[in-house]
Amino acid sequence: MKTDVVVDAKGLACPMPLVRAKKEMDRLNSGEVMKLISTDPGSVNDFASWAKRANHEILDQQEEDGVYTFYVKKG
Amino acid sequence: MAVQNLTVEALRDKLNRGESLFILDVRNESDYDDWKIEGPTVHSINIPYFEFLDDEDVADERLPDETDIVTVCAKGGSSQYVAEILDGKGYNVYSLEGGMKAWSQVYNDTLVFEDDNMKLFQVNRMAKGCLSYLIVTGDEAAVVDPGRHTAFYIRLAEREGARIRHVMDTHLHADHISGGPGLAEETGATYYIASEEVQGAGYTFAPLEKEEHIHFGQVDIKVLALPTPGHTPGSTSFVVNDRFLLSGDTLFVSGLGRPDLGGKAREWAELLYDTVFHKLSDLQDQTLVLPAHYADMEEMDENGIVGASLGEIRENNRAMQTKGKEVFTELIAGAASTDTPPNFEKITAINRGKQTPDEEEATELEIGPNRCAVHHHG
Repeated sequence: MKTDVVVDAKGLACPMPLVRAKKEMDRLNSGEVMKLISTDPGSVNDFASWAKRANHEILDQQEEDGVYTFYVKKG
Repeated sequence: MAVQNLTVEALRDKLNRGESLFILDVRNESDYDDWKIEGPTVHSINIPYFEFLDDEDVADERLPDETDIVTVCAKGGSSQYVAEILDGKGYNVYSLEGGMKAWSQVYNDTLVFEDDNMKLFQVNRMAKGCLSYLIVTGDEAAVVDPGRHTAFYIRLAEREGARIRHVMDTHLHADHISGGPGLAEETGATYYIASEEVQGAGYTFAPLEKEEHIHFGQVDIKVLALPTPGHTPGSTSFVVNDRFLLSGDTLFVSGLGRPDLGGKAREWAELLYDTVFHKLSDLQDQTLVLPAHYADMEEMDENGIVGASLGEIRENNRAMQTKGKEVFTELIAGAASTDTPPNFEKITAINRGKQTPDEEEATELEIGPNRCAVHHHG
């Protein structure tokens, strides 16, 4: 998938994955795609809730060996 | 100014003193709805931390200016983050250190009864709604349904000048990891559980079904094993000195145990019927029922004790007034199809001694609410 920015939040605990994601998202234009990589299971639900609230669209979401990857299109 | 942390023990002590607390829980909505800090003096609101990312003023209209605010999250990181934002805006704010994860491991003891011969303590693991008991007579003690933080019970017994000699589980717990086998091993006590509960157990135990009485201490304190199937097929209750019924998950202040966790709701509901109407019917109305769980703060009395007389429970419980076995089974089995406790299959395997989790895994497995009571059928 084409991504415009990658946020690598591996090893970071709440709230840092979302703080980083939010910061990068602010720099994107509407329609651009961010890839977020996190190893914090707690932030997975939070990320989905935040994206929904902020009108971003989660295009895809994967989990492999405790590494969560999200592709999110800025709304 | 740096944000101050509040430890979970300090929070417990504040609740015990009846202090008013304003809690801002910053977890997401579904986690909050599932499981939160409650108490008669707690005022709690939920605003997820990620809402503060977009708008630092998001909580302003809902926060008190003068009162202390305690921020709470899953592990203490996000509550710290929000507390710093609020501190910057001039609020009096504390962050709960370790979050709900730490809160899930806090225990509190309350004296239920004392006479010349014995003391009976109720130990409340508030975050889980789990109750266990310590009975002291002379320099000996028995523990019923201990949680896995065994040091708490050892310290409590030491404080009372007693050694733990007997450890009992009323049943195989599905919602939390039992401290029973571990506590018995650490103290040299005997561990009792019904054989039917722990088929092929990975530890040594004394089968409860072979005991009619467990005597201990200088005085004759009778602990009578009373088979009360229903919740799980080998559930056992204990009648202490003919006055107290430690009912496990069979009978709660506001309802009956849920019989569906073994996948046989209907058959077990019928067994529960026999328990309620035959085996428990000999006990007097003034017997104080002390369960292994509670589901609601309303089940706690003004002294912080979760318990009710058997008479009150009989009077207030719809299912217990139902005389027909059919209707009873329908009421109970029908109500039982709600969510299972988180991780219950893994937890029951651990409680049979089939698996041994490390501390980190044990903590993660127990995170979340208890769901062992049948709700709304009190």
